[in-house]
Amino acid sequence: MLNYNSSLKEDKNYQGLTVREISPIMKLNLRGKSRDFLTTIGKNINMILPMEANTSSSSDNYTSMWLSPDEWMVLSNKIVDKENNNYDIEKLLFNKISKTKLGSVTDISDQFVMINLNGEKIFDLMSSGCPFDFSDFRLKVGSVTQTLLTHIDVIIHHKEANSVNLFVRRSFSEHLMSWINDSASRL
Amino acid sequence: MFIINCPYCGDRDQSEFKAGGEAHIERPKQPTELSDDEWAEYLFMRKNIKGDQFERWNHTHGCRKWFNMVRDTSNDEIKLIYKMGEKPPTK
Repeated sequence: MLNYNSSLKEDKNYQGLTVREISPIMKLNLRGKSRDFLTTIGKNINMILPMEANTSSSSDNYTSMWLSPDEWMVLSNKIVDKENNNYDIEKLLFNKISKTKLGSVTDISDQFVMINLNGEKIFDLMSSGCPFDFSDFRLKVGSVTQTLLTHIDVIIHHKEANSVNLFVRRSFSEHLMSWINDSASRL
Repeated sequence: MFIINCPYCGDRDQSEFKAGGEAHIERPKQPTELSDDEWAEYLFMRKNIKGDQFERWNHTHGCRKWFNMVRDTSNDEIKLIYKMGEKPPTK
């Protein structure tokens, strides 16, 4: 079952910034290299995995993010059913990819907490604790980066203008939230 | 602190990387036939030179890929970055 103990007790509002957790979201980790792997994924989820570094692609139902030359994360655009964590797409891909040894499919829905940051100050907030240069990132919607935010591993997805999704490992989410809380109050 | 150009992700801060020691050290084909001294030579002995050094680096907090780097150890100037499996440049 999904762990619903949220790291974020309530939605937070600051000047020019709102922070909320979006859950439950289905997340899958896909790894593979071969051409067969890519075409099988493409056929089954009806989208092409982004091949260019630090980019993402999305369809009606799913968004996929480039993590590494042979690694992607696919997530559902909409909130999934709270009552169970069986996803048709995971079963389908598991049978077509993992069983046929084309690559690997791992359900990481519970591993990552998805935090949505909204507002014009999101990049000011992240720059205050991150060595990454956001100057190109903020201009390009759809860009993805994995970096360190206050020494915590995060995946940052530029979803739309003034809105980013932050993916953080569940055990670090509470610590990250306390940092966001502290840092946002001083923006 | 310096910027490292990851061959997969592009320019990133050094704090996202881990150094992996000297590159292009070949594992002996028949470890059982080596004397203890020869084995120790392979395991522990590194050049640690002042000047251009061939190193392995890992983008731990990014794409988690290994790559090679030629770095001047006296001033941290990065001369060249190339992917794993590629031949080291001849000097």
